[in-house]
Amino acid sequence: MGAPPIPALIARLVYFMIRLENVSKMYGSELPAVRDASFDVPKGEFVFLVGPSGSGKSTLLRLMNRQERPERGNVWVAGRNINEMANSQIPFLRRTMGNVFQDYKLLPNKTVFENVAFALEVIGKPKHVIGQQVPQVLDLVGLSGKEDRFPHQLSGGEQQRVSIARAFVNRPLILLADEPTGNLDPATGEGIMGLLDAINRTGTTIVMATHDHRVVNAMRRRVIQLDRGVIVRDQERGVYE
Amino acid sequence: MIQRLSYAFRETIASFRRNMTLSVAAVITSAVSLLLVGTTFLIQRAFDNLLTQWRGDVGMIVFVRPDVTPEALGFIKQNLESQPNVIDVKKLEYLDKTQSFAEAQRVFAGDPTTLSLLSIETIPSQFKVVPKTTDPELVRSLANQYRTLPGVAGVSLAEDEFDVISTLSGFVRTVTIGMSLVLLAVAVILIWNTIRTAIFARRREIEVMKLVGATDWFIRVPFILEGLIQGLAGALVSCAGLWGLNSAWTSGVAGFKSGTGVSALVVPGSYVNGVMIALLVIGAVAGGVGSGVASSKFLDV
Repeated sequence: MGAPPIPALIARLVYFMIRLENVSKMYGSELPAVRDASFDVPKGEFVFLVGPSGSGKSTLLRLMNRQERPERGNVWVAGRNINEMANSQIPFLRRTMGNVFQDYKLLPNKTVFENVAFALEVIGKPKHVIGQQVPQVLDLVGLSGKEDRFPHQLSGGEQQRVSIARAFVNRPLILLADEPTGNLDPATGEGIMGLLDAINRTGTTIVMATHDHRVVNAMRRRVIQLDRGVIVRDQERGVYE
Repeated sequence: MIQRLSYAFRETIASFRRNMTLSVAAVITSAVSLLLVGTTFLIQRAFDNLLTQWRGDVGMIVFVRPDVTPEALGFIKQNLESQPNVIDVKKLEYLDKTQSFAEAQRVFAGDPTTLSLLSIETIPSQFKVVPKTTDPELVRSLANQYRTLPGVAGVSLAEDEFDVISTLSGFVRTVTIGMSLVLLAVAVILIWNTIRTAIFARRREIEVMKLVGATDWFIRVPFILEGLIQGLAGALVSCAGLWGLNSAWTSGVAGFKSGTGVSALVVPGSYVNGVMIALLVIGAVAGGVGSGVASSKFLDV
C-alpha cells in the first residue's frame, strides 16, 4: 500500500483523527477477533465501541496504538499509516495518545503526583514543566490536595481520575479508554464520564470501549457496535441496544 | 540530559536493591571468574619470565666473559658457525652486554639481590644457539667442548633448565584458560538472569512506560547500566583479590635462595596493573553485553 496523494493525506490529517480500512486481526487460528472493520473517526469526536465481551472492542483499541498489528487492512492515525511505521517511531505515535483502562494500571509504589509525573518523566520533559503541568491536570480531574496519597489510599473512582490525569497530562490528540467505568458504581462512573466529556470538549478525540448501557444511553454519542469481530451498527447519537 | 542520567541511575540503584540476592550472586561469580582470568595472566607471565632466555627454540646458551677480547669473541663465533650440521647457523644470535642486561631484568625480577650485583660492565654477553639436531647427546658433547674455549664463562643447556617447567606451563595455561572461560560464561548467564528478573519485577511499570511513549532505549538503559555495574563490581573485587594474591606470592618468593630460578616467577607491578585494567574492561563489557542482550530480548515492543 503506497502513500496516498498529498491532498488526501491533508484531508485525513485535518479531518480524520483515526481511519480503519478493511482491518482484520486474528489470534492464532481462532475466529478473527476483528473482521474487515472500516470506519473514520473525525477530529474531536466521541465514539463508543459497544458489544459483549470478546466482540473485539479491546482489540480495536490495541490496533489503534499499535499494541497489535492487523493481518489485513490499514490503520491511519493523525494522517499516518501506523502499520507502516518503523518500531522506533511508535513511542512518538503513543505520545499523541492517552490510554485509560478498567484496572487503572497505576504504579502502586508511586504517589498520585508521581504517577502522573511519570508519564512526562519518561518522555524526557524537564522538571519545571512537570512541576507546572501535573498540578494543573490534577486540579482538572478534581484531585487537588491528594497529590501525596498512594493509589491504595484512594477510592476506585479517584484511582481512575489519576489514570485519566496521567493519560491527559501530555495533552494528547486522542484518548483511548477501555471500559473506564467497568469497576465503578453508577454514580462514580457518571463522574468519570463527566470528566471524559470535559476532556472531549477541549478538542481531544475519544474512543471508548464499554458495555455499560447507562453510560452510552446517557451520553448520546456515536456508537459503533461489534458482534464477534464484525461491525454491525455505526450510528450517530446512538444508544446501547 | 542530566535529568535522564539521574533517572537512569536512580532506577539502577532501586533495581539493585530489589534483587539483592541475585545481584550479589552475579557479582561474586564474575569476581571469581575474573580472578581466575587474572591469575592465568600472571602465571603465564611468570613462566614467560622464566623461559624468556630460551624463547625461539634456543637449546644452548654460551655465556661470554665480560672482559673477553675481540679476538677470542671472534674465535667463539667462528667455532659455532663451523658446526652447520649440529647448529642452525642462520638462527645463531649474539646478545651484547646491553641486551643481556635488559634480559636479566626480567629473569631476576624477583631477586633484587642478584639484580643489584649486575651492571652492564660486569654482565656476560651471550650466544643463543638453536640446535639443528634432535639428539641431545650431540648437543651436550658440543657444550662440553665450548666450555673449554678461551673467553667462555659457561654454557647452559635448555634441557637441564626448563623442560619440566615448559610442559607444566602449557598444561597450566590450558586448564586455567578453560576454567576461566567457563566461569566467565556462568557470570554472563547469571547477570542475564538477574536482568530478566529485574525486568519481570517491573513489567507493570514497563507496560505503562511503553504506553505513554517512552523509547526502548530509555527503558533499556537502566537495565544495561545495572548489568554493567554488576560486572564492574565483580571486576573490582577480583582486582583486590589478584593484588592480594600477587603480594603474597612475591613476598613468598623472596624467601627462596637467590639464583634458584624461582625468583624469575615474580611479576612486575606494572604488569599486574595492566592485568587489573584488563579485568575491569572485561567485567564491564561482559556485564553490559549480558544485560544488553537480556533487555533487548525481554523488552520487545
